[in-house]
Amino acid sequence: MLSESICQAVLARALRGGGAFAEIFFEDTRVFDMTLRSGKIERAAVSRPRGAGIRIYDDLRSIYVYTCDVTPDGLLRAAARAAAAVTESRGTGRDITLHAQAHDDIHPVRTSVFDVPAQRRADMLRAADAAARAVSPRITQVTCGLLAREQRVLIANSDGLYTGDTRTYTRLTCSAIASDGAENQTGADNPGALMGFELFEERVDPEASGRKAARTAVTMLDAPYANAGEMPVVIAGGFGGVIFHEACGHSLEATSVEPGMSEFSGKLGTQIAAPCVTAIDDGTMPFEWGSENIDDEGTPTTRLVLIENGVLKNYMIDRLNGLKMGMAPTGSGRREGYAYAPTSRMRNTFIAAGSDDEEEMIRTMGDGLYAAQMGGGSVNPATGEFNFSVREGYLVRDGRIVSPVRGASLIGKGSEILMRIDRVGREMTMGQGMCGSRSGSVPTNVGQPTIRVSRLTVGGK
Amino acid sequence: MDEQIRNFTAQVLDAAQRAGISPAEAAVSSSASFSARVRQQQLEDYTVSDRFQLTLRGRWQGRIGTASTQAMDEESLALLIQGVKESAELTETDEQDDILPPEDRYDAVCNYSEALEDVSAEDKIALAMQIDERLAAADARIQPDAAVVATGSETFRLQNTLGLDLSHKSNMVYAYASCLAKEGEAAATGFKLLWGYSMEEVRPFDVTDGCVQDALAKLGAGRVTSGARRVIVRNNAMADLLATFCGVFSADNAQKGLSLLLGKEGSAIASPAVTLVDDPLMPWGMASRPFDREGAAARTKRVVEDGVLRTLLHNRRTAKKAGVQTTGNAAGGGRVAPSNLYIRPGALTPDALTARMGDGLLITELSGLHAGADAVSGDFSLLARGLEVCGGQIVRPVEQFTVAGNFYTLLREIEAVGSDLLFEGSPIGSPSVLVQSLSVAGQ
Repeated sequence: MLSESICQAVLARALRGGGAFAEIFFEDTRVFDMTLRSGKIERAAVSRPRGAGIRIYDDLRSIYVYTCDVTPDGLLRAAARAAAAVTESRGTGRDITLHAQAHDDIHPVRTSVFDVPAQRRADMLRAADAAARAVSPRITQVTCGLLAREQRVLIANSDGLYTGDTRTYTRLTCSAIASDGAENQTGADNPGALMGFELFEERVDPEASGRKAARTAVTMLDAPYANAGEMPVVIAGGFGGVIFHEACGHSLEATSVEPGMSEFSGKLGTQIAAPCVTAIDDGTMPFEWGSENIDDEGTPTTRLVLIENGVLKNYMIDRLNGLKMGMAPTGSGRREGYAYAPTSRMRNTFIAAGSDDEEEMIRTMGDGLYAAQMGGGSVNPATGEFNFSVREGYLVRDGRIVSPVRGASLIGKGSEILMRIDRVGREMTMGQGMCGSRSGSVPTNVGQPTIRVSRLTVGGK
Repeated sequence: MDEQIRNFTAQVLDAAQRAGISPAEAAVSSSASFSARVRQQQLEDYTVSDRFQLTLRGRWQGRIGTASTQAMDEESLALLIQGVKESAELTETDEQDDILPPEDRYDAVCNYSEALEDVSAEDKIALAMQIDERLAAADARIQPDAAVVATGSETFRLQNTLGLDLSHKSNMVYAYASCLAKEGEAAATGFKLLWGYSMEEVRPFDVTDGCVQDALAKLGAGRVTSGARRVIVRNNAMADLLATFCGVFSADNAQKGLSLLLGKEGSAIASPAVTLVDDPLMPWGMASRPFDREGAAARTKRVVEDGVLRTLLHNRRTAKKAGVQTTGNAAGGGRVAPSNLYIRPGALTPDALTARMGDGLLITELSGLHAGADAVSGDFSLLARGLEVCGGQIVRPVEQFTVAGNFYTLLREIEAVGSDLLFEGSPIGSPSVLVQSLSVAGQ
């Protein structure tokens, strides 16, 4: 890691010719990934991403230089490259004194994956594979993966901050293919947490994951295509929360709000969702996939109410957008790694539990779609147009689940769907995803109880 | 930095051999990038970088292992040696990506411009400023979002202990603009990207004009009714679809049951209008290179010719298993990937293609490809926007509908291929194609 004196010198070099603020982000990360396919370990590899990014705020402009050369000379060179792009002379030649800042670790790791014997890691994948294959003879292929990432970061800035953290992520990925010779269908389950190898003792049963992936694939192999059209849709909890993530979450990030490229710009304090909707973005939940201790700008993470009873309460704000908006940062500055300047991002984002009965939702919906498992999706924040895929869907006729259907997708506009949520169930559950945006790919949880949307466009055949 | 990289690479290969890892191979990528983002005549983001990555592969106790690092220090040396051994010990597959001596001959191909390396940061920023300025002045309904000008360069070097030492240098510049068009309650975003190897290929007028047209063409869009429709998938959207599903042509996927094309060489898998080419030797192609990630010489080939599957894309391992020659498509990490992959253009201009369709939809944009498309089954159900066509004439923009189908079926139902081949910031390109029927879901 970098000493205080090196950081001090680098930050001073960055601001030598002026600039409002300078920051250094250093990471030294270990990644282990392993893949089992066709019943055999096909790949196992360790890698070490390491580098540093130096950012200067030139007034409200962002200058970012990143490099793999983290020797003192290399960092000073990078600082000089950044300084050469500064245009304002305010703040020339400031003295910088760093103060080490500690923070609580609310996600203490018990067992690093790197300390677990290699064959024991492989055993988790073998267990998931065997369980998936046992579901049906029509399971023709199973791919399981273990991904472990230990990201050690150090963040220092010209306000005197000098802090660091280690984030330990462990994730199991299972995907199964069912085939009848002419057609293939897939199922997947990818659970993970901000944990070490204890993930497999406390949260994740590899066999259950394998079975879940296989059952979806087999179910979808027998399913006809979904009918297309507008209809009521009930969306189950867990990864179903991707609907809020796409339809609304991205549009509440300062990255879209600040430049006016969000349909929710300027809407604080107004009703943007049905009164039964309360939504939260929470980085403090112990051991959750999207949690942190501090964000990638060194700001302690927070629990942020985004929408309360349908009224917009907060945006997710990083430090630079906070300056531009005249608002305080919310601990939302995140980035994939040193190769990205941070921006406002989601953490664990979910619709809070409500008071409606899950069975009643379906019983009273008439004809429609029950989305038991969602795939991923995307959104255009400026217009709110979103789309996502239904991994496992069921046709509902006259309030009763009739049969599985495949190939359904849901499309719409965020502002419309939020107003059309008319039921919110009692138990909130979450699913894990990797969210891509301007500052790269970051781990996020999505979540919700089972909800009902009175009308949505369902794509199918 | 260059000398440091050379020394470290030599050190790694030497240490590997001394540790009993033999043969050993080092794949080293060193890259640099520049990006300037302008909004409202302000330089909002300025980013420059230099990066390095070394991946060591080698044979240990009969099997091949791999490990990589971005740090050149003693700790990395130990991590690489230990990592390769552990990786080899864990790996169970019988067929592995071997490490071999060089081939006799490699064709030369150029996608590197010396002159581009000499363009100053000031000139690139000035170009972004010009794009933003033109965008702001273009139309009262247009609100500029951002103008970005970026350059990147990479040197890739592959060395092994059996005498192979190859390297390839590439660079490129790209410029794009994005904007929001508003008229009453209607809003739509516009985007245009151009890329090339000189500043003349990314002229501000072309970027701005394309961006504004893209946004304005979407304003006032209506809905469509659900049903089966004749469809033209425009070049950019077809290239996106091809990029999403190009894995079906990978022999690695096919041999693992992840593609339905195993053993289909010689049979018709697409309409006779379709010829699909993978050309790593394309002059100035984005993914052009004289050799692949395992040092096999690059070869140009027709993957599909007049609808008949001629070959899947192979590396040496998949080729050996299939009893054929590698096609030079090793992509690292055991994977197989296309280089510059495109559907060969046909004779019809975009207007002629529209006239031929008669009534139907011209799909101009597909969204959510990472989620709404299943590369294994070929099924897709995607958010789309486009233009409604009646009697061969474009009548109005349409939005908020999905198109659903299956990629394998779509290949067979391509009725005609346009002349407008486009590579839009990607090595995977396509002309517009007319498809007999896709399911559309709207109102």
